[in-house]
Amino acid sequence: MNTITPPLNSALQQRASVLFQTAENDLHRHTDHLFSRLMIVQWLAGIAAALWISPLTWIGVSSQVHVHVWAAVLLGGAISGFPAWLAWRYPGQVVTRHVIAVAQMLTSALLIHLTGGRIETHFHVFGSLAFIAFYRDWRVLLTATVVVAADHLVRGMLWPQSVFGVLTASHWRWLEHAGWVVFEDVILIVATRRMLREMHEMALRRAILEGSKAEIERQVVERTAQLSQTQAELLETSRLAGMTEVATSVLHNVGNVLNSVSVSSEIAATKVREFRIGSLKDVADLLQEHADDLPAFLTTDPRGKVLPGYLLKLAAHLADPQQAILQEMEVLRKNIEHIKEIVAMQQRYARGTGVVEPLSVADLVEDSIRINAAGFSRHEVQVVREIAPVPQVKTDRHKVLQILVNLLSNAKYALDQSNGDRRMTVRVGVNQTKELEIAVMDNGTGITPENLTRVFSHGFTTKKDGHGFGLHSGALAARELGGTLSAHSDGPGKGAVFTLKLPLPN
Amino acid sequence: MLAGGIWLLLILAGSLWMAHYSQTAGSVGAPPERWPETSQVRRDPERPQLLMFLHPRCACSRATLGELELLMAHCQGLVSVQVLFIQPEGVAEDWVKTDLWRSAAAIPGVNVGIDHEGGEALRFRTATSGQALLYDLNGRLIFQGGITLARSHSGDNPGRSALEGLLRHQAGTLASTPVFGCALSEKEARDECTTPCQP
Repeated sequence: MNTITPPLNSALQQRASVLFQTAENDLHRHTDHLFSRLMIVQWLAGIAAALWISPLTWIGVSSQVHVHVWAAVLLGGAISGFPAWLAWRYPGQVVTRHVIAVAQMLTSALLIHLTGGRIETHFHVFGSLAFIAFYRDWRVLLTATVVVAADHLVRGMLWPQSVFGVLTASHWRWLEHAGWVVFEDVILIVATRRMLREMHEMALRRAILEGSKAEIERQVVERTAQLSQTQAELLETSRLAGMTEVATSVLHNVGNVLNSVSVSSEIAATKVREFRIGSLKDVADLLQEHADDLPAFLTTDPRGKVLPGYLLKLAAHLADPQQAILQEMEVLRKNIEHIKEIVAMQQRYARGTGVVEPLSVADLVEDSIRINAAGFSRHEVQVVREIAPVPQVKTDRHKVLQILVNLLSNAKYALDQSNGDRRMTVRVGVNQTKELEIAVMDNGTGITPENLTRVFSHGFTTKKDGHGFGLHSGALAARELGGTLSAHSDGPGKGAVFTLKLPLPN
Repeated sequence: MLAGGIWLLLILAGSLWMAHYSQTAGSVGAPPERWPETSQVRRDPERPQLLMFLHPRCACSRATLGELELLMAHCQGLVSVQVLFIQPEGVAEDWVKTDLWRSAAAIPGVNVGIDHEGGEALRFRTATSGQALLYDLNGRLIFQGGITLARSHSGDNPGRSALEGLLRHQAGTLASTPVFGCALSEKEARDECTTPCQP
């Protein structure tokens, strides 16, 4: 059942009506142009016929142009010229097609006359009616029919032989001729009405389609906006995930260093606790007790006599832990400096988000290795650097670092899962297509072929505590930088290569 | 509206001019009432003799030959027909043998010949292409005129009807009809035209 509401139905009908009128007007204009050309062709054909059939009139051996030739040129020109001009100047107007209908029938009469009343030329009348039906307007057919009927009526009364070919035609003979024209008219009008109905239906269907198309376009716009928003949110999530990964690595390193700090402070504390503060206090108390006769005590009293030697031994005993404490304090200072550097680096990258600046690729690689350095050390991962001299790259340092830290972290994880030699190679160079290539290669667990196509999918991970954000956000970041991130592995146990390609400045 | 009115008036005027031209007959001359003894044309002693003069290049006479063909079909064997094509002085025979010649020669029962320098046309005092003369068995003129109703227009006409009547009934009074065609010669056109015979 049609559930279109009355207002919508009315709007649809209105639109269909506009479309129908437009199509009808186009049809009228097109047919007018068709007839304007036909008029000229018919005019030329009439002249050609006159020149062929009766070019000259003779008086003995003298001749002059036949009147039929002049009639074809002048009368034919008059008949054809006005409607051709109207069709050119006022196409689509009602008056134009009616004048054309009149002219077409008069052209028939002229051609019949020029061909000496040949019965075959009368077919021009019926052909013309079919042409006039192109307008799909029964009124134009009526005009043409009236002209034919009037011509037959008048000529039938004044000169019947010229139109009927017989001398003794009935006064009603014109009705017989007009009747045949009406016969064709009826058929043409029936066909015309059918075609108009089809045009109406087409206009209605087109109006419905337009409505559907507008609704679809609206939905597409809406969905596109939603998609854009989702993509932006995803990018932001990925960016945050990337930052989290970097921050996690930083904190991990800071944690490792803090472990050393803790150990150093514990050693220092132990050493301090080992100081013989009690013995020193005993010496101090003894000296306090003999403060009044201190020289006699040191020289006569047996305890006083050994006291300098005891102090020397005590000093010697305190020098070792002091040295150890100083050493631990130096380690502590270095570790604190290390933490400071890591935090400063993190702050530098955090501030750099979205800023494109010329950067040293080697520095970027070193920073990313440094962030993971504690992890590499603890997991006994050997990092090999194959860094070719490459030009500076104009890019977002944070995004590159996010990608590299993630790749290094993944490689470390892959190496951690394997039993063999834990070696990671970071190779920097320029490829044949003049792109910067940073490849992180490991000889770890490798990647299965089926996973190779999924590693960049959002949420895909092989880590126990992974989230599947790292490589996905890395690939997105690489695309944002105008580059690509790709993976290659010869299979499980055969290691993997992740390659970041970035455009170089021309 | 005014432009349309002027347009229709122009066409009406042109049509009337055409109709006037089409219905303007040529001169019928003054054909002899008896077959001239000096004529070189051999008269059929057993059948009435129809003599027709044609200008070999007259476009209007094409309709005349069409009517003659119909006449011959309707009156087969009742009449002997001689069509003479005028060969004016100073022109070659090829000038005469046009498509009209071939059309006439193709009509069964029609003899076609050349009237050198229009001698026979002078003897029979004819002036317009398409003019036909019918002499009975006694050599008496019983019909003279054209067998079309207008220039270049074939179709029923009084001339063909009269000829058919005369040939079927073998009797009748002199019938005369207008002739529509070109002038056979300049002299005849100049001397004998009583009505406008030039297009």
